[in-house]
Amino acid sequence: MPQTTKAANAKIAANATIPQALPALELHACMGLNACKGHGWSGKNDCAGTGDCATNRHPCHTLNNCKGQGGCGLFGTTQEFCTPGQNECAFQGSCGTPILASRYITQGPNKGTSVWQLARKLFEERMVKAKRTVGPPPAGQEYGPTTEFAARLGASQSCGQSGERYCSYAFGKAENEKDKKARRAAFEKASAKLLPKTMKNCDCGE
Amino acid sequence: MMYKLPKGPFTKAQFTEAMSHAIAIELTTIPCYLSTYYSINRAQNQDALYKKIFAQVKNKALAEELTMDVLLYSNKAAGTIMSVVIEEMLHLALSSNVHQASIAAPDILSIGRALTYPATLFADKKEFAINRAPFSIEALIDFLEIESPNQFQTDPTIGQFYKQLIQYVQEKKIDWRLTSKGFPQLVPSQPYYSQNSINTVYYDAKHNPQFPSANDSGGLIEVTGKETAIAAMNEIIEQGEGPKGGDQLKFKDGRPVPLPVVNGKVKFSKHDFDDPGKKELSHFSKFMELYSLALYYEAKFKSHPAADNFFSYFVRNQAVNPVTNDYVKSKELYQQSQLGNAIYTYILLMIETCYHQELPTQFEVFMMGIHKSMIWLLSEFGWDMSAQQFTKGGTTSQGSLTFEYYPFEAKAGTRPKAQMIQLAKNLIATDSTYGWLISDPQYLMSLPDVGLDHQVAKIPLQTSKK
Repeated sequence: MPQTTKAANAKIAANATIPQALPALELHACMGLNACKGHGWSGKNDCAGTGDCATNRHPCHTLNNCKGQGGCGLFGTTQEFCTPGQNECAFQGSCGTPILASRYITQGPNKGTSVWQLARKLFEERMVKAKRTVGPPPAGQEYGPTTEFAARLGASQSCGQSGERYCSYAFGKAENEKDKKARRAAFEKASAKLLPKTMKNCDCGE
Repeated sequence: MMYKLPKGPFTKAQFTEAMSHAIAIELTTIPCYLSTYYSINRAQNQDALYKKIFAQVKNKALAEELTMDVLLYSNKAAGTIMSVVIEEMLHLALSSNVHQASIAAPDILSIGRALTYPATLFADKKEFAINRAPFSIEALIDFLEIESPNQFQTDPTIGQFYKQLIQYVQEKKIDWRLTSKGFPQLVPSQPYYSQNSINTVYYDAKHNPQFPSANDSGGLIEVTGKETAIAAMNEIIEQGEGPKGGDQLKFKDGRPVPLPVVNGKVKFSKHDFDDPGKKELSHFSKFMELYSLALYYEAKFKSHPAADNFFSYFVRNQAVNPVTNDYVKSKELYQQSQLGNAIYTYILLMIETCYHQELPTQFEVFMMGIHKSMIWLLSEFGWDMSAQQFTKGGTTSQGSLTFEYYPFEAKAGTRPKAQMIQLAKNLIATDSTYGWLISDPQYLMSLPDVGLDHQVAKIPLQTSKK
């Protein structure tokens, strides 16, 4: 059975140790992509870009309700993968929300690079145009929500059949955890370095 | 398939029949490859697998090594097969584009109605059979024969067949029917085609993602005349068989000769790639890689007598070419299969409809209808059905999709989507965990409502209410 949207969201909300502030004041795709104070998952953020999680969650491609609610990176086309959190219409998102830090783009010239970092950069540019001050995402989450952080908000990895993305094949629990973290850190840094090129590939300037 | 290839250059009538057969060939491969894909447990629990293998071989280092062999190979095999499935769907669109531009809109439903398994590429039943089968060395041999760049029995290769079609296009005058003149095709200016997705990805030993398809390996081509028609058909040939000079299909002792495996990697020639950047293998070479590695790992596991057969660790026990009637004693499996077939047939109807509808309806049918149906509905049953068992001829197997044509036309007064909803309700009455099919508006309920006359009643842009 797939992670159905409404039922899954209700379960997520029930399991979250940090509860969602309802009603949501803005529906957006992830941590750090909110336009105003109090518009994050918990509603406790001070300003634009400081929210702690998506206020509208869904598991995958074509399952977003509206404009700007699509995640990105796993199913869809090269063009779609250049607009994380900024899709034009319902059903046009190319992946689920929230966008975890370990999620990478699977298609086109940017494949293998971070989805969240592109989403955040596009969001910052949108806020510049709107003349809004943008704050940082929650401490320790500079490259997007980690799996561990997202779990506190009841969120987990979305779609795909090829296995966990925050993962390691190392044997032994301690070794595996250490390797997973090191791999993610290396991926985040490599993606940050490639971000200007990623933007250019998407015809987003720089 | 009962298509007998004519000798010599095609007449107009023969070209018309042959173009339809080209679409049939592309369609035939999709259930074949997808059935094998769904039989693979590609991302199983590492700890549980290690525990099982360690209990058998009682050696930590060896158990770790064999566990990695299973995890890496099964995921690579599945990702690779899915990458070929996606390109076969591209080929279905390319051949349909040529058909639309040179003859008429493709009749994909009729082709689907006539398709049964075991199938053949051409009329000669003495040639190899194309099956819907679980993953095995025999299934890979089938795949190699389908995609073979060289003729090995009486029938031509797919590439040789397309060359005959190209010859007709080159030599004969055709009144081209253009998208801009009201004969829609699936065109590259729309974001319809994507080589890779998370389902084509697999991981190396360091868990770095690998992408089996390259950006420059080709995509949709709008057919506007001779040159583009030839380009579309050449793309099909090169992605399938590879460019000239690549490895060939050679048999020894009844089996294809594998490529050498050195340090766990298959050695290819530079001619085995189908893209200018030499990063993407042709279908034949992708399958040759899986085949060569399969033989290598089969022998390796056999050399450790305490270990099981290599394939038993990740291949589901599915039957070859099951049909829905085989499931009649299991009500749920039977109902799952009926709905799975209806979804498959509806996908064919939606593809066909794309050749009768202009933008934006075509976009909505493709992006919301076909994408949702493939990723969420067909896949769901592809996995779910293996949880049920059935017995036939004294053999018990896990269930699997049967990819049979569902006759929507038998209930002419009820639209196909309404028929699918009724099938879903029947299934829910047997198993309430399928309630999401009706209660969640994002899946079955939000598919475009496409009629057998290719008219789209409405695009249900309804959204769930919080």
